Amino acid sequence: MYYTGSFIKGQSLVYNLDPRIKLAATICLSVFILWVKPLIAFVIGIALFCAALASGIRLRTFAQAIKPLLFFIVLIFLVHALFNEGETLVSIPFFGLSLSYAGLQKGFFVVWRFLCLIIAAILLTLTTTPSQMIAAIKYFLKPLKLLRVPVDDIAVMIMLALRLMPILLTEKERVETAQKARGYNLRQSGFVVRIKAFLSLTLTVLLGVFRRADELALAMEARNYQRGERTSLMELKLTSSDYLVLIFLGVFLVIFVALNSHFG
Amino acid sequence: MIILEDVYYKYEPEGIEALRGVSLQIREGEHLALIGPNGCGKTTLIRHLNALLLPTSGKVTVGGFNTNDPTHQADIRSLVGMVFQNPDNQIVGMTVEEDVAFGPENLRLPTVEIKKRVAEALIRVGISELACRNIENLSGGEKRLVAIAGVLAMRPRYIALDEPAAFLDPTATKRVLDIIDRLHFEGVGIIHITHNMAEAALTQRIVVMNEGRVYLDGTPREIFGKIDMLKQIGMQLPQITELLIKLKESGFSVRTDIVNMEDALEQIRSITGKIKV
Repeated sequence: MYYTGSFIKGQSLVYNLDPRIKLAATICLSVFILWVKPLIAFVIGIALFCAALASGIRLRTFAQAIKPLLFFIVLIFLVHALFNEGETLVSIPFFGLSLSYAGLQKGFFVVWRFLCLIIAAILLTLTTTPSQMIAAIKYFLKPLKLLRVPVDDIAVMIMLALRLMPILLTEKERVETAQKARGYNLRQSGFVVRIKAFLSLTLTVLLGVFRRADELALAMEARNYQRGERTSLMELKLTSSDYLVLIFLGVFLVIFVALNSHFG
Repeated sequence: MIILEDVYYKYEPEGIEALRGVSLQIREGEHLALIGPNGCGKTTLIRHLNALLLPTSGKVTVGGFNTNDPTHQADIRSLVGMVFQNPDNQIVGMTVEEDVAFGPENLRLPTVEIKKRVAEALIRVGISELACRNIENLSGGEKRLVAIAGVLAMRPRYIALDEPAAFLDPTATKRVLDIIDRLHFEGVGIIHITHNMAEAALTQRIVVMNEGRVYLDGTPREIFGKIDMLKQIGMQLPQITELLIKLKESGFSVRTDIVNMEDALEQIRSITGKIKV
């Protein structure tokens, strides 16, 4: 089963990078994209698109992942393009709206930044397994152990949430099929009936999931799960290519900070 | 050795008494089938074996450790592995190897040892090639094997299995039962809940439960010889035994305490002299 943004098996430099490097780079680049001047954000975006192309993931997969957000992307662009003051290019006869050059430019850069953030997030999730991601999050949260934050428990909670996600979807499909099998035809029903059906579906699915979660907790206990520190199958080790990427990213970011202040 | 002494268990707040004075001894390396009608306390009983449930009264001792003693819970859970009825409710990891590693990770073993145990457990159940596969892409039978491997990675001396062949097709059932047989051959004690009498007949010992009590306890031959007692609580006999009973009722001189195919064929051969295997 494929879910939008879920890991796809592959082989490339991006895939082989340590998950900590990927997570840190994604966060840094995201902050940078939002913070720097539009022109520099544009260059960072180009670099990000190059990384996406080099990742070995098909462009179609990126397009599939972006598709559900297309409406928001267009909306963001239109809002900026139509509601910005500046030299009018085209006047729209309704509601006194006008399309300005400044508006189009702003709309383009806002959408560009938004797209960059999405691409960065997709690139991270498509090339990193959930367990690698959990290991990376656990690594970065480690210092919080000093403040008695239950880092290991948080990692297990994330793992269980990810595990229960497909179970939740399967449970929903199962209940829906059972309802249809008993002659429940929602397409021919009115609004009130649909709301009732939705409530009944939600309650049944939730009850089923709670029951499964109870059983899962019992199974975890049977396998000696206790709160607190655990060891891990996942061994995080930085390789020479990780160090090279780290240095490259560091240099890259320093140059952009310098350029940003120069153009500022 | 696992020893249950006069164990009572009551589910609260419903107040349902699921076990009523169960006393049982399970030897290391023994293959035991636990059978009985629905709601007779089979699942409740096996959940006592690795301290998932603690007796309301009475005592359960596993390898000398009392399950009521919280300081030995980890030891007990390493000694007795538990395979639940629905593997979907047991599997924690996203991929096969991650799930199998869950137990050893809880035992706080070093990464090298975890990797070794995961590889070993996957080989024992014959699914090494599935190590990196996503759990959601596995068949029901494969998920069952992952659940067994997850328990084996903790190197238990006993494995309690709650209907390990439920909802499986004949091929997957055979694969699971063959693995259980092999584990028994390797010296792992097996406690195996089943509703399939043919499966029960293949074990060394059968414990029949009814209304929270041990109703019968003996070898398959002894148990399936007590036809009236079994029928009294709605239990069926293995089909092969039923066949011999019908033959006897039709006037043929055959033994009816037969539970396996080889002995049954021997009996049938003796009355016809024609069947060749």
